[in-house]
Amino acid sequence: MPHSIPARTRVRVALSAGLASAALAMTGCAGVAGAGGPAEITFHMSKPEAIPYFRDLVQQFNTDQQDVRVTLDTASNLSAGFLRGNPPDVGLLNYNMEMARFMERGALSDLADLPVAERIRPDVQELVDQYATYPGRTSVLPYSVAAASVIYNVQIFEDNGLEVPTTWDELIGACETLLDAGVTPIYATFKDPWTVAQGPFDYTVGGMLDVAGFYEQLNAEGTEVGPDSAVSFQKDFAEPVARMNELLLYVNDDAESKGYGDGNVAFAKGEAAMYLQGPWALGEIAKTSPDLELGTFPLPVTDDPEDLKVRVNLDLALWIPEAGTDKEAARAFVEYLTQQDVMDDYNREFLGFGTTEDAAPAEDERILGMQEFYDEGKFYQGASRAIPLTIPVDNYIQALATGADPESTLARLDADWARVAFRE
Amino acid sequence: MTQTAARPMAGSRRGGRDEAAATTRARRGRVGQETTNWTTMVILLLCSLTVLVPLYVTISMSLKTTAQAVDGNAFSLPTPIDFSGFAEAWQLTNFPRAFVISVLITAATVAGTVLLAALASYAIVRNWERRLFRWSFFYLLAAMFLPFPVVALPQIQLTGLTGLANPVGVTILHIMFQLSFSILLFTAFLRSIPLELEESARMDGATTGQTFRKLIFPLLAPMGATVAIFAFLASWNDFMMPSLIIADSSLQTVPVVQSIFQTQFSNNYNVSFASYLMAMAPAIIVYLFAQRWVLEGVTQGAVKG
Repeated sequence: MPHSIPARTRVRVALSAGLASAALAMTGCAGVAGAGGPAEITFHMSKPEAIPYFRDLVQQFNTDQQDVRVTLDTASNLSAGFLRGNPPDVGLLNYNMEMARFMERGALSDLADLPVAERIRPDVQELVDQYATYPGRTSVLPYSVAAASVIYNVQIFEDNGLEVPTTWDELIGACETLLDAGVTPIYATFKDPWTVAQGPFDYTVGGMLDVAGFYEQLNAEGTEVGPDSAVSFQKDFAEPVARMNELLLYVNDDAESKGYGDGNVAFAKGEAAMYLQGPWALGEIAKTSPDLELGTFPLPVTDDPEDLKVRVNLDLALWIPEAGTDKEAARAFVEYLTQQDVMDDYNREFLGFGTTEDAAPAEDERILGMQEFYDEGKFYQGASRAIPLTIPVDNYIQALATGADPESTLARLDADWARVAFRE
Repeated sequence: MTQTAARPMAGSRRGGRDEAAATTRARRGRVGQETTNWTTMVILLLCSLTVLVPLYVTISMSLKTTAQAVDGNAFSLPTPIDFSGFAEAWQLTNFPRAFVISVLITAATVAGTVLLAALASYAIVRNWERRLFRWSFFYLLAAMFLPFPVVALPQIQLTGLTGLANPVGVTILHIMFQLSFSILLFTAFLRSIPLELEESARMDGATTGQTFRKLIFPLLAPMGATVAIFAFLASWNDFMMPSLIIADSSLQTVPVVQSIFQTQFSNNYNVSFASYLMAMAPAIIVYLFAQRWVLEGVTQGAVKG
């Protein structure tokens, strides 16, 4: 990435005099950044439902102090920003494999000396490192965690005299009871591949395996992954996938033709007892039935209640790029964002779990069922999310759910993994 | 999402062509026997449905409440009629600003494309026997084989280095990418303009510039309309280029700011369709008023392109 070469600056000045000022004139908004004015920084936040919330928060921050002026950026393209050398000064967004690539290449600055870094739970910080690390840096701070498990209709469970199942046998028993009572046990939406991957697949794999440990070993195997390697999809995932297929016998008959939107509406109307989705679906369900009583429990996949775990992902994570315009100003804003009550407010509003030691516990009844597992660190990141996007894993899983041969499909996943490893 | 906005327009273009054919036929009918061609009529009616049905869904969705919008019945009538989708879309996207920027980019692109392409085509056609001009024609045409995604990365860096990571840069790139196709249309049309017209202008003492300004450019008007329509559609509906090139998100265009409405995890059909409708409105209104020229222009393009 080119750094400020004088010649380049001259070109930029000359051109911006003519052209960029035309752009400003075009929009009718004059540039405010004067020499003595407050530091101008941009704040990237692109979670659509949280935009109004953070717009208010930014406004609050701008009126509270005079040194830093924050602009909320909800639409710019991150890859282009990094490539151009002017990424947003503060980023707060979903953390995943794509975002981890920037961190892996050292594009994000070290935040280890911020006070909040001390307060973050080590096992939550570990979730960041499961994707990638950059030596000697804490580049990404988890801000909010979304925990996902089985959403269940409390009324239907009570009507059929069911308790929350804690073992696989209890779960199957509950499904049978519901089936006998003429209720669809589970609502599935096979039409949208990601719903199968992030729901049934991730839950069964995460419930049986140590996901992070598996991928660590798989990465070590690299190009050797295959039928003879120490760990492989075809060997280690065979059992969870068999369980998944067993579970999927209890879904609605028209699952193949239903998408995520259909699932939310159908579940909201009480057409099934259980729904394998994350907290993001709760808001969608509430659009149709705002007062429906719902609860959550981790999917039991083994016969030991001690094995129960919930699936988590980093709903929002904070970072400051190396190439930012004013890192001091950015850090001041990050400190504002990471005050405990600000973080708690966000989590309360958007059904997230706190990432710090002193975070307030969840209050919403719909996600309370996951609190104890989250507190005890019994969680894993989805197995399907640890696979690079170049491998169409969601589609493979969709095929598995709709009748493909598990053995050959998982073998293909192994071959794809080895190929990607070879390319890198 | 942009496709959603683009599709009805592409549809109306197709529908327009059919209607144009229908008017010619109707006129012919009046001169000869007055019969209705039922086969054509039914086919045309079906064709018009491809425009009207999506338009109906767009309008009715935008007037629904959130609860009704997600219920899976796209064709149901909105009950009760609810305008909050418009208010929310207006506020979430900072609509007026994005709209003004989109309009300015599009207007500058249309004007720039028509003018530059006409100038270039005139120079090329009248100097066809010279190698430099002939080759520059092929060079410009070759750009048709370069889609933007192929050159996206260097363009992002170049615009960043030259201070053009803003709507001005997008306008320049839009003109550039529109140029080759427009020149192809203009040159084909220019060849059909008799040279004698120009010779008579010369005899009256017109310079080359005057000939172009007073004679050629007005004669190019029908093809100019075609070029302008294509430039308008390409520029107004473009998503990828502005999203990658414009660095400051407060200077983004309408299609890009609208992209926040639809994500994997949430559906806000009423808000997004309200927003799409607001984005489509100018194109539809312009079409209603300029229908005649649009139809003429499109059929011109259909023959020459």
